[in-house]
Amino acid sequence: MNNSTRPFADIYPEIGTGPVSTAPAVDPAFFEREREKIFRKMWVNMILREEDLPNPGDYFVRDIEVLDASVIVVRGDDGKLRALHNVCTHRGNRLVRDESGSCNGFQCDFHGWVFNNQGELAFVTDEQRFHHLDKPSLGLAKVHLDTWRGFIFVNFEETPSQSLEASMADFNQDLKPFPFENMVLAGRYRYETNANWKTTMNAFQESYHAAFVHKRSVRQCLEDDGDPYLASQRIKLQPNGNQSISVHLPPHDLTPTEMIAYGMGATFTQGGDGNVNSFPGTAQAQIENWAFDLNIMFPFSRINVGAGWYYVDAFWPVAHDRTVYELAFYFPMPTSAGAMISQEYSKIVLRDLSREDLFTNEVTHNALRSGAIKSIQLSDQEIAVRHQYEKVTEFCR
Amino acid sequence: MNNPLPEPFAHLTPYRSWALSTEDARMRRRISASMSEITDYYQTLLPEIDPIAKHLDKWPLAELPAEQKPLLYLAMMFMETAMCVEFFFDPDVPEALGAEHIELYAGRSEQLVNS
Ligand code: FES
Ligand SMILES: [Fe+2]
Repeated sequence: MNNSTRPFADIYPEIGTGPVSTAPAVDPAFFEREREKIFRKMWVNMILREEDLPNPGDYFVRDIEVLDASVIVVRGDDGKLRALHNVCTHRGNRLVRDESGSCNGFQCDFHGWVFNNQGELAFVTDEQRFHHLDKPSLGLAKVHLDTWRGFIFVNFEETPSQSLEASMADFNQDLKPFPFENMVLAGRYRYETNANWKTTMNAFQESYHAAFVHKRSVRQCLEDDGDPYLASQRIKLQPNGNQSISVHLPPHDLTPTEMIAYGMGATFTQGGDGNVNSFPGTAQAQIENWAFDLNIMFPFSRINVGAGWYYVDAFWPVAHDRTVYELAFYFPMPTSAGAMISQEYSKIVLRDLSREDLFTNEVTHNALRSGAIKSIQLSDQEIAVRHQYEKVTEFCR
Repeated sequence: MNNPLPEPFAHLTPYRSWALSTEDARMRRRISASMSEITDYYQTLLPEIDPIAKHLDKWPLAELPAEQKPLLYLAMMFMETAMCVEFFFDPDVPEALGAEHIELYAGRSEQLVNS
């Protein structure tokens, strides 16, 4: 029987409708299992695009704390992108300390060994005093790297158990056509929170919270006499844990500032004008008052697409009770000051909204740790949260 | 230094200290300002944003002359204050993760204009 107020449980009956255990969010031992069974096997979304490293020698360093790893992504003189462990093969010093830059090679600051931008060991200081150095085998240890629509992903498995393309599953049809190449980085943010990565992420996986958490910042969108809870019309859950959630916003009055911003470009709550064919790779055509799609790549990164912009974010697990939320917002490169001023408005809206989203996580996490409740209750609108716990538990078995 | 801003916006020169070149600096300035300062700034700048944008659009963004850049920064600072006046009634975001837990990084256009 199809229930129009609770449509999703019928579409995904295997996920169930009962209470969900809090253990995966609060048990440090569960986090250890996630590390081995999920994080070590996943394709890691580096929140970095190929065009961010356009020239030979361009590099970017990212620490992935949950795997005790630091990775250099670098474009070699041969034009190829590589991911390399940031560990000198002499005695294991951290090779690169800068976050990004451009260079012909990397020199270790401990004893001066030099690696070229293809990761090969190029020069050993005072080499004559070593006994049997097999220099060709002493290049930087490699990490698998692949790209999907220009996004750079890495994988730490010896042999990845699944290709990046296979792990993108339905996004190869649903999301792939989005015009990512027309946009560039407009702003990047990093937030630290003392909560489990799922507790943090769950605040971003439903629209139900908007009426409370965003009661100020999107007030104009909640005053509609229709549904103040902005119930999602489309939630698509995939067997590998990927999810897509469409968010709509009812027609609303624009504030004086949004009016100015919208006059000069697409905005976060209004989007760009343009017909349903303007943004392929979105659910625009299926959703009334469509605003944007949240596309979750299991386990914790997203590529969220709107009418004239997109943002990529990740809920980086650091420890069982620590998460870094990182967000990169993309817009067409402004060619005029007006476009840049307009984009600044949307950047600030999203930045401030994200801070609202991150308000409850830490206290929720602490409250759950008290053990006062052993399970959480989830509505049909929160089915993506339910699905996440189900998948994480399944993969950690 | 209080060099006058370029015409026809010289009358905004008293607000020159708000012309900060990075999003990070603008956000920090906003949250350390008082609501009355912010409201004054917002009300003064509101009718100026469209004229500033039209004026600056005489140059491609990549070729914006140095003496014009403070006008761009003032307009972007206005966007910070807009959230305070139109939504929050407070310089900072109420009921939110504290700003001390956030780091901001420049996007491409900020790098272009400030290079
Ligand atoms: S550890 Fe790098 S040169 Fe010695
Ligand atoms: Fe939210």
